[in-house]
Amino acid sequence: MTVLDDQQDLGTPAVRSDAVVTVLIDGAPVQVPEGTSVMRAAALAGTQVPKLCATDSLAAFGSCRLCLVEIDGKAGTPASCTTPCSEGMSVRTQTPRLDKLRKGVMELYISDHPLDCLTCPANGDCELQDMAGVVGLRDVRYPDGANHLDAPKDESNPYFTFDESKCIACSRCVRACSEVQGTFALTIAGRGFGSKVSASDGVPFLESECVSCGACVQACPTATLQEKTVIDLGVPTRKVKTTCAYCGVGCSFVAELRGDELVRMVPDKTGGANSGHSCVKGRFAWGYAGHEDRVLEPMIRESIDDEWKVVTWDQAIGFAATKLKAIQAEYGIDAIGGITSSRCTNEEVYVVQKMVRAAFGTNNVDTCARVCHSPTGYGLKQTFGTSAGTQDFKSVEKADVIMVIGANPTDAHPVFASRMKRRLREGAELIVVDPRTIDLVRSAHIEASHHLQLLPGTNVAIVNAMGHVIATEGWIDRTFVEERCDAASFQAWEDFIRLPENSPEMLEEATGVPADQVRAAARAYATAPNAAIYYGLGVTEHSQGSTMVMAMANLAMATGNIGREGVGVNPLRGQNNVQGSCDMGSFPHEFSGYRHVSDDTVREQFEALWGAQMRPDPGMRIPNMLDAATVGEFKGIYIQGEDIAQSDPNTDHVTHALRSMDCVIVQDLFLNETAKFAHVFLPGTSFLEKDGTFTNAERRINRVRPVMPSRTGMAEWEVTCALATAMGYEMGYDTSSQIMDEIAAVTPTFSGVSFELLDKVGSVQWPCNEKAPLGTPVMHVDAFVRGKGQFITTPYVPTDERSTRKFPLLLTTGRVLSQYNVGAQTRRTNNVVWHAQDVLDMHEADAQARGVSDGDWVEVSSRAGNTRLRVRVTDDIPAGVVYTTFHHPVSGTNVITTDNSDWATNCPEYKVTAVEVRPSSKVPV
Amino acid sequence: MTLSAAGLNYEQAHLVKMANQIAANVPNRAEVGEQVATHIRTFWTPDMQRDIQGIEHDYPDQLVPDVHTALEILRRL
Repeated sequence: MTVLDDQQDLGTPAVRSDAVVTVLIDGAPVQVPEGTSVMRAAALAGTQVPKLCATDSLAAFGSCRLCLVEIDGKAGTPASCTTPCSEGMSVRTQTPRLDKLRKGVMELYISDHPLDCLTCPANGDCELQDMAGVVGLRDVRYPDGANHLDAPKDESNPYFTFDESKCIACSRCVRACSEVQGTFALTIAGRGFGSKVSASDGVPFLESECVSCGACVQACPTATLQEKTVIDLGVPTRKVKTTCAYCGVGCSFVAELRGDELVRMVPDKTGGANSGHSCVKGRFAWGYAGHEDRVLEPMIRESIDDEWKVVTWDQAIGFAATKLKAIQAEYGIDAIGGITSSRCTNEEVYVVQKMVRAAFGTNNVDTCARVCHSPTGYGLKQTFGTSAGTQDFKSVEKADVIMVIGANPTDAHPVFASRMKRRLREGAELIVVDPRTIDLVRSAHIEASHHLQLLPGTNVAIVNAMGHVIATEGWIDRTFVEERCDAASFQAWEDFIRLPENSPEMLEEATGVPADQVRAAARAYATAPNAAIYYGLGVTEHSQGSTMVMAMANLAMATGNIGREGVGVNPLRGQNNVQGSCDMGSFPHEFSGYRHVSDDTVREQFEALWGAQMRPDPGMRIPNMLDAATVGEFKGIYIQGEDIAQSDPNTDHVTHALRSMDCVIVQDLFLNETAKFAHVFLPGTSFLEKDGTFTNAERRINRVRPVMPSRTGMAEWEVTCALATAMGYEMGYDTSSQIMDEIAAVTPTFSGVSFELLDKVGSVQWPCNEKAPLGTPVMHVDAFVRGKGQFITTPYVPTDERSTRKFPLLLTTGRVLSQYNVGAQTRRTNNVVWHAQDVLDMHEADAQARGVSDGDWVEVSSRAGNTRLRVRVTDDIPAGVVYTTFHHPVSGTNVITTDNSDWATNCPEYKVTAVEVRPSSKVPV
Repeated sequence: MTLSAAGLNYEQAHLVKMANQIAANVPNRAEVGEQVATHIRTFWTPDMQRDIQGIEHDYPDQLVPDVHTALEILRRL
């Protein structure tokens, strides 16, 4: 366990109660909410009652018998962790009788525990050791007898060991796995002396259902469950709070180091997004930052066929600027552009879009959010008035019905999924809308009431059908609609949605979902006191991605499920800073804060501050830049932390475009697939070296603090500033906090944000301004940002990408828990033990029809291209649909995805590709 | 006939596809042309707007009627 000042363990969880009671702890009065444990009340009063099985992330268990206290008027010595305070209660935590009892308990524990403290990896960081000291244990009277000292170690997990000889059977790991993570992979097997922690049915951890979230390791009071890095390196000596660089949950962590060497990442219990929980990626998969593949020096080359030449920063910047200026001189100002990265900080993103607009003189800037959540920005802005989710993560704790659409939170947003699963175990009803039987549909203590297993590409049809049921069966919240929404738009929507063509029965053939299932799910959503929608890329990455976002917003407004806790429309963002990169003005038509470039007032503000003229017309999106490159009109690009040659659809087209350019600048940690086509490589910094902020899916702005110095010698924003300056536009800051100050000065929703505020309060959710100086957890409370909520009619238009005789199957894509997007980070960690290659999930009927068996190699062909994958036969997916991930470049998943995209935003239609699968004897190299 | 078979290059074919797709998807079906025009003005670069006008001139059959209406509206601005 790790203790910072604000990480103090109060023994039992906080209790929510309006009633307050006063108790006396060793004579000192303390007021606590009614129901608070005596242990927690004592801790709040400054008295730590000795404990082993208690920790404030878990419900009290009362097994270790170390936290005994005396209470006036009560017989015996009750456990303080399981005894609730009552008014006037007088508690004594230290008496001769208690001392004797505790010493006896500790003596029994230590009699079956190795006495190897000096060489134990947890030496100095062990609660058992601490408690032995606290109770004053000096000798053990039971030196011989049966014990567990020779129990074997389980070292199967790549990140932690399980040393049974050190286990005191306190069940903290078991309870953490069930209560915090919600996986229920651990149990106590056996009885009495034979009791022992068991992973699944007594198998090694790696073979069990354990998801390696680290909750058990965090909960363990001894060295039984211990990080291998601590065993190898020793106990950390300093700590820095920062933010995870993986998914859009944006977990807060305490980085623990020895000098500049990172020893472990421990989830921050004060973290607003994660409340002390973590997943395998954030907790353990940070080794890529020190991987030997990292490039730490700038490199240049005249041609992509040349060898890279290592140069100084000045040479690289000068080379890049000369090339870009030459391109503009020959082909025009708009022949170059840039792409910002959702893996970079707000500050780094902001300076890149500023460089493109002010130094390059063009609006040709886009972001990797183009290929994931651009429809979210479009759809929510049209309906609600702002391009962001409506809730904080904590809101799910008040939801009565949770509808998960096109998202797989247990794999892609696991820490939020744990929070959601806790609410589901408490009784909230679950609707899953997904072609696949994702884990949430049926897992330990959770079962979806409704699984609408629709065909890929029919999201809008399903949600329209639900809207039809709500409108025609009388479930519309007319009070909410009349008070909060635009009347004319509502009437138009109601007239549209009531049309027979939107009924579940009429759409049954298109969606493949029986009408009665749609009706039942619609009723459940509409009639719940609080119903919340959570969605992912299964919504956005479609030809009607934006329409679908608006359709969901319609549903929420029609049923009054907006503007309070427990409801809302909530995008689960893919990368850690998708929200932030969009907020920072990365889209070619918008400045920071989503203000269109054609707005004279806004443009004048930027022109005055930046001292450069701004263009009033939109620039090119990523696909437009690539298209223009193929016809010789776009010749130079600055790509910050994105691997478009692997992540963007229709790889052949992307690589053709990259080959066609005269200057491709890649700023990244590694020589990624895109770097094969680059002329300049500018080494980037890992999140451990960055100083700035990330904004997560709940609009929470979190500090990213430098855990160690930049390994490249430069901050990424310094490199960007240097290039802008070399292009002739003087740009520079002393610190990244100055960049945030500038962001706050020009972005109304960020006007109250500063590093000083974040360091003081931890995090804030935008809007953070004069009206909301500490941020806004839930949006649209009294009114929508745009004033009245705007209903928008959402006709279902089938995608052009349909199954045919030549390509009879529909391919959809996603990601797994252990890997992250194109795998640049996770493939360079031990996470490969769980997912060493991408596979093609296929229903048994489809496999049999093609003579394919589990584990066979197959060729997957689409109209865009073909690749080879190994097959996994599974009933997680319906017949007619196949599924794969895109974590490994060798898989070439995006060789087969097409250039179809969302009609409004050009977000690629990754989720629907018509394919054929044939047995293959060839194995990819 | 595919777009490439009609003689359009990749960029032109993509612009045609985008324009026709916008026309098929804009929400208010009573004012499709106006909405397509607004969408193109809001999100397309001046070069893209010029290119689609040129495509309309050279390959009018590739664009759906609502896109023609939208381009006429844009020309009047």
